Amino acid sequence: MKQPPLTTPSSIDMPAAVCHKVANGTKIYAINCPEYEVVRLSFVFHAGTITQLHPFTASATANMLAEGTAALTSQQIAERLDYFGSYFDINIDRDYSYITFCSLSKFFMQTAEVIEQVILHPTFPAEEIDTYRAKRKQQLAIERRKVETIAREKFANAIFGKSHPYGVSYSEEAYDTLSRENIAEHYKRCYTAENCIVVCSGNINPEVLARIESIASELHSAGNTQTISLPPFETIHNVRHQHDGAVQSSIRMGRLLFPRTHEDFIPMQVLSTVLGGYFGSRLMQNLREQHGYTYGAFCAMVNFQHTGYLALATQVGSEVTEDALQQIALEIEQLQNDKVSEQELALVKNIMAGELMRILDGPFGIADVTTENILCGFDNSHIQEHLQRIRATTPEELRDLAQRYLAAEDLVKVVVGDFN
Amino acid sequence: MITYKKTILANGLSVIANRDKTSRMAAVNILYKVGARNENPNRTGLAHLFEHLMFRGTHQIPDFDTPVQMACGENNAFTNNDYTDFYITLPIANIETALWLESDRMTGLNLSEEACKIEKRVVIEEFRQRYLNQPYGDANMLLRALAYKQHPYRWATIGLSPEHIEQASAEEIHNFYRTFYHPSNAILSFSGDMAEEEFFALAEKWFGGIEDHKHDIPSIPAEPTQNEARRQEVERDVPATTITIAFKMGNRLSRDFFLGDITSDILAGGDSARLYEHLIKNKRLFASVNAYITGDVDCGLFVFTGQLLPSTSEAEAEEALWAEMADLQQNNISDYELEKVKNKFEANTLFGELNVMNKAMNLGYYEMIGDLSLINREVDIYRSLTSGDISDFASRIFCKENSSTLIYRAKR
Repeated sequence: MKQPPLTTPSSIDMPAAVCHKVANGTKIYAINCPEYEVVRLSFVFHAGTITQLHPFTASATANMLAEGTAALTSQQIAERLDYFGSYFDINIDRDYSYITFCSLSKFFMQTAEVIEQVILHPTFPAEEIDTYRAKRKQQLAIERRKVETIAREKFANAIFGKSHPYGVSYSEEAYDTLSRENIAEHYKRCYTAENCIVVCSGNINPEVLARIESIASELHSAGNTQTISLPPFETIHNVRHQHDGAVQSSIRMGRLLFPRTHEDFIPMQVLSTVLGGYFGSRLMQNLREQHGYTYGAFCAMVNFQHTGYLALATQVGSEVTEDALQQIALEIEQLQNDKVSEQELALVKNIMAGELMRILDGPFGIADVTTENILCGFDNSHIQEHLQRIRATTPEELRDLAQRYLAAEDLVKVVVGDFN
Repeated sequence: MITYKKTILANGLSVIANRDKTSRMAAVNILYKVGARNENPNRTGLAHLFEHLMFRGTHQIPDFDTPVQMACGENNAFTNNDYTDFYITLPIANIETALWLESDRMTGLNLSEEACKIEKRVVIEEFRQRYLNQPYGDANMLLRALAYKQHPYRWATIGLSPEHIEQASAEEIHNFYRTFYHPSNAILSFSGDMAEEEFFALAEKWFGGIEDHKHDIPSIPAEPTQNEARRQEVERDVPATTITIAFKMGNRLSRDFFLGDITSDILAGGDSARLYEHLIKNKRLFASVNAYITGDVDCGLFVFTGQLLPSTSEAEAEEALWAEMADLQQNNISDYELEKVKNKFEANTLFGELNVMNKAMNLGYYEMIGDLSLINREVDIYRSLTSGDISDFASRIFCKENSSTLIYRAKR
């Protein structure tokens, strides 16, 4: 039968977040979706790994928040959250830590008792830290048996510099010296009113909002926002790391560029999607479909607070590593030499629009995009501009960007595998 | 609670629809009742390979993905031991694109030699990436082979070896398609903002003309009752030793499934659960520990698995796991603990109903296991279980002669 006609969405709706400021300066952004009987509440602190003074402190602090507080033991916290079917999630990146709680609306008030303790009154008990260190040390050792983990770490080292806060990685043994004092210091300095934004979604009725405000208003004030001064980046371009017995090599390539607020960020997202951002991308067509070298290949723009980068990653059979590298180089050259067809570009634009629509379908995704917007200094109407910018990208622009930003000599190339 | 309506087309295709008025997206799911359990022991991995081939295009639509993506959609699929599932989410305005694509590849798949050759290579790379090039990558395969002797659950979905995939012949692949991919062996399910009857009319429009070719599906060998404790010890280049103990339990529709599930929640459902509290935090024997059920359609497994800390001896760790089982057998479950896991089950059920994709997928799944209405009855079933039921389950299932123990030892 014939292909049915297609509709391309011309706009994307995203509800505005309503900002409430409490006395200590903390901003609460609320997205009310009363048709869902759930509440999701996130505290985002400028407390990522670049803010730590000692290895692993930032992630340990975030992960230890619920391991004992002034009024509750870690077991009581876990018990209460489980009893009401609520859960929480800790995420940490280089810049921020994200502490997110989800509960059914009918149990939000009971859950809030626990949230208040976790965010405001953690005590970081020494014996819990011992358990945590032993567990994480072993996990990291296991992770580092994987070629993709090694490649990810080596890539960060190469692109930002081995000792740069954005690029550094630490040995597992560094967990042994992580102390309770390190964690308490990090909490005191970073988990402050000035360093925090709160984002909530779901059924945010006035009682729920008032309860959230009462918690946020108790965050202690440090008097000023934290400023981080970063050393200059030191990029090295070629890294090969021998990993005995690997049946596949992990390849990472990319380069330092700019953060999301840069005018070329979105068109570079379009370019990276053409190259490796979807199942039928250039890299997937070449490496997976034509050659069968890999199960997957990806490319994306990554945003940090102070910079951003383009990265591509794949894992290929050891015996075809060199040819795979050459094929990747050829795909990049092609982007520099030939314009992407209108058809391919239309496809990529629709994929990106579809992704935005899918993320924004439901209260949790809306909250995630809101958070990202706030951290970049945008409000939610930015989503329209974002869509327009994607739609405005032309084949000439993509070719020019590929020439400007993806020159072979500027790319960082990391390969981890068995070269013998 | 998921509201739904169901119909069966004249060619045998089951169609189920849920209307979700809050979403602008639609999810279309098509489930084929074929998984690794339907494979010939000499040609394992074929169901999964076939899932890949379903994306290689048809004679009419040579490229499957592009039309989905042009419609702002996203699609993917997975295979397990029991079934193969394909799903598309896209703006509801483009719903017919999904039906056009799914109906087309039910009959017109391109199974050329070239297509098969490339896809075999991709699957073999997947085999290497996920099972051979990962620490503990083969642990699950070893466990299956230990616990099952006859039933095809003795192999993993990826298959017994890359050679099975490599050597699959064109004829075997064609036969597989004919035998398993036709309307009466499939379930089409949908969630989105559209009246159920309207969706049924679209299903009829796109799938109604497909002829059914009913084939005899070979019966699956039953697993004989296990009467001896089984044990395997292997040594590998991994940083930490893991211990896994698996027990056979009932099938998906038996009461044991729910008892097994709630028992695994008491042991490992969240950070307040027993194994985490007792064995990680208090006794500090394990770095991680878990208990779960495989939830297979046929006789499934109840699995305990833990990764030892360097200071813990294997005997100590194994003993600690058995002590947890003994505790359950002696009925030490408080009303509070039981209420907690029931609440959690109810909340997770609700969280799982927040998006159209989960709903469409679940509707297909429950129809496949043979009891669609169960989708809305499970919370009540959990509510009805007592601590006596659980200790009775633990006494019947957690015994040495029903156990398969795998020691995956770290090389010193």
